[in-house]
Amino acid sequence: MTLPSLRSRLLVLIVLVLAAVLLPLGILSAKHTLEEVDELSDGRLAQAARTLEVLVGRIGIEQLREQRSARLLVPSVSNHPQELTVQGRTFESEVGFQVFDRDGTLLLATENLAAVPNTRAADGAFEDIHKGKYKWRMFTLIMEQEGVTIRAGERYDSRHEITRALWLEHGLPTFLGLPVLALLVGWAIRRGLRPLESLAGALARREPGSREPIHLPDAPLELRPVLLALNDQIERLEGALERERQFSADVAHELRTPLASTMINLEDAMASAQPDEAQAALEAARECLVSLARRTEQLLALARLEAGAASGPRSRVDLRELALEVVEEMSPVIGTGGAELSIELPDHLFVNGYGVALGALIRNLLENAFRHVPHGGHVELSIRHVERGALIEVTDDGPGIPAERRTAMFTRFQRGVDTQGEGYGLGLSIVKRAVELHGAVIELLDREGGPGLRVVVTLPLA
Amino acid sequence: MHIILVEDDVQLGEAIRRALERLAYSVSWFREGNEALRALRDHDADLVLLDLGLPGKDGMDVLTEARRLRVKTPVIVMSARDALDSRIRVLDAGADDYLIKPFHLDELAARIRSLARRVRGEAVNRLEAGALSLDLGTFDVTWHGERVDLTRREFALLQALMERAGRIVRRESLENSLYGPDNVMSTSALEVLVHSLRRKLSHGAIQTVRGFGYMVPREPQ
Repeated sequence: MTLPSLRSRLLVLIVLVLAAVLLPLGILSAKHTLEEVDELSDGRLAQAARTLEVLVGRIGIEQLREQRSARLLVPSVSNHPQELTVQGRTFESEVGFQVFDRDGTLLLATENLAAVPNTRAADGAFEDIHKGKYKWRMFTLIMEQEGVTIRAGERYDSRHEITRALWLEHGLPTFLGLPVLALLVGWAIRRGLRPLESLAGALARREPGSREPIHLPDAPLELRPVLLALNDQIERLEGALERERQFSADVAHELRTPLASTMINLEDAMASAQPDEAQAALEAARECLVSLARRTEQLLALARLEAGAASGPRSRVDLRELALEVVEEMSPVIGTGGAELSIELPDHLFVNGYGVALGALIRNLLENAFRHVPHGGHVELSIRHVERGALIEVTDDGPGIPAERRTAMFTRFQRGVDTQGEGYGLGLSIVKRAVELHGAVIELLDREGGPGLRVVVTLPLA
Repeated sequence: MHIILVEDDVQLGEAIRRALERLAYSVSWFREGNEALRALRDHDADLVLLDLGLPGKDGMDVLTEARRLRVKTPVIVMSARDALDSRIRVLDAGADDYLIKPFHLDELAARIRSLARRVRGEAVNRLEAGALSLDLGTFDVTWHGERVDLTRREFALLQALMERAGRIVRRESLENSLYGPDNVMSTSALEVLVHSLRRKLSHGAIQTVRGFGYMVPREPQ
């Protein structure tokens, strides 16, 4: 059974458990009570028979025998109520008796048992007989000396009345109590579940976009892990959202600036009276468009990187193959830069990672290097296996980055001040993201033996 | 009119400088926040074009600091940040105008003229002194109702003089307006300009105050 509410679930379960315990207990105790009542009544019956025995003894058998003709019929006890009390309640007990002579003649009997024949039961025996619509409990007592049989009887329905009374006395409160119990349990559950309600309330009241953690001062132990997990989740979600917002703001900046330069240059060209001025402005506008295209590419690469990280598993990537692909792809850039590239690659070096991201990492490191080396400069790409993992190293003999500015370089879209004009901005952001994705380490160092930048990325091996 | 341009992006900086110089402004261009602040403090610029995302010192900090140092030069902020709160923060920090990248050159020029006008306390884009009239929007110069063709530098010089018509304008101030503070122009360059202006207008249009500067009288003859 599925119940929508935790409260009704708990309520049903608790009531079921209570019923499962209380019902067998009640039945057991009822059975026990019945037996007790039976025993008690049997005892009383025997007691009555023995009293009669004493009375008969006093009166004398002979006298009874003489009266045979005027056989005494004692009136029914219903007219002389024998009282029995159960906890203050009065019960009428329909009892009767018979006295038979040795030869089976009925000497004495109450009216209600006058027509019942002697069953010749043994001395001290109990038996059940039927007389009309009633069932009787009979006790037989034989006075050996006199040869007289005394039988005392009690109607069962009298007994049942006592039993019923006992049932009512004990069972009814239990049955009536169950709904009350259910109500009280319901109330207790509601009270006990109140922290859940306040949690729901706190969640409902949250402002969308708020990074405030949910705070429940009276959170019970069981809710604390939930709360912790929830707050952690909120934090991460909001963080992702914040990064997303930051990203779009950065994208806006990255694209708007070259757009602005393009527009200014074009409008300047259109307004220029001198042809050479117009020509220069147009040339500049074209340059701006090239830079706009490059930044768009990089932004796409960054977006793909983020998307790729969110989906898809890592795979075995051969850094040698990857580096060769990248260099081949970049050959137009490398060819026109006026700088020289030297490559040092291992035979094969496998890492467990994202091919696209690692490719973007190498490409952007090389692009940055080529953008910052002077004409006739040198760029060196070296990939090798070291103790800590796979090492990707790109060295250039450009101006380098002053030590105090290196940390800031990794802030997304931060641009370095350099002579060539083009920044590190997006390129290093991509590199950084790829590094993060792989749990790698990146260091910006001085080139050994002269000015220049040495970027070292250490990737954990597959 | 001398403009300090603060923009870290090389291409945009180049483009703006080229365009503004064509519009007869002298431009000093800075690409780093701290340098820009020093220039703002030390140079007597007529206007500042300030980018926000700067290396070294953020444009917002440059602006706040400059205003704290009681630099009163009008500032137009150029930014790709288009969020409302960003614009409000910038204006509240003491910027006079806000341009969102990308913007049109015409709009930039118009806003520069508008701010310059406000600084002079005028409502129209026209400088007038007697029969001499100078339209800052169209660069049209008329003398006794006749159109006069001026070069860019001649126009800039005449504008600088007419902005303070009837008063003597110091030589250094004129050089600053024309070439920026770091100019290495020979002193005769200004005299050559004045000479050609007089030739196109009249000798009395510009008066010389020896060893001090020049002046366009309120009613030039």
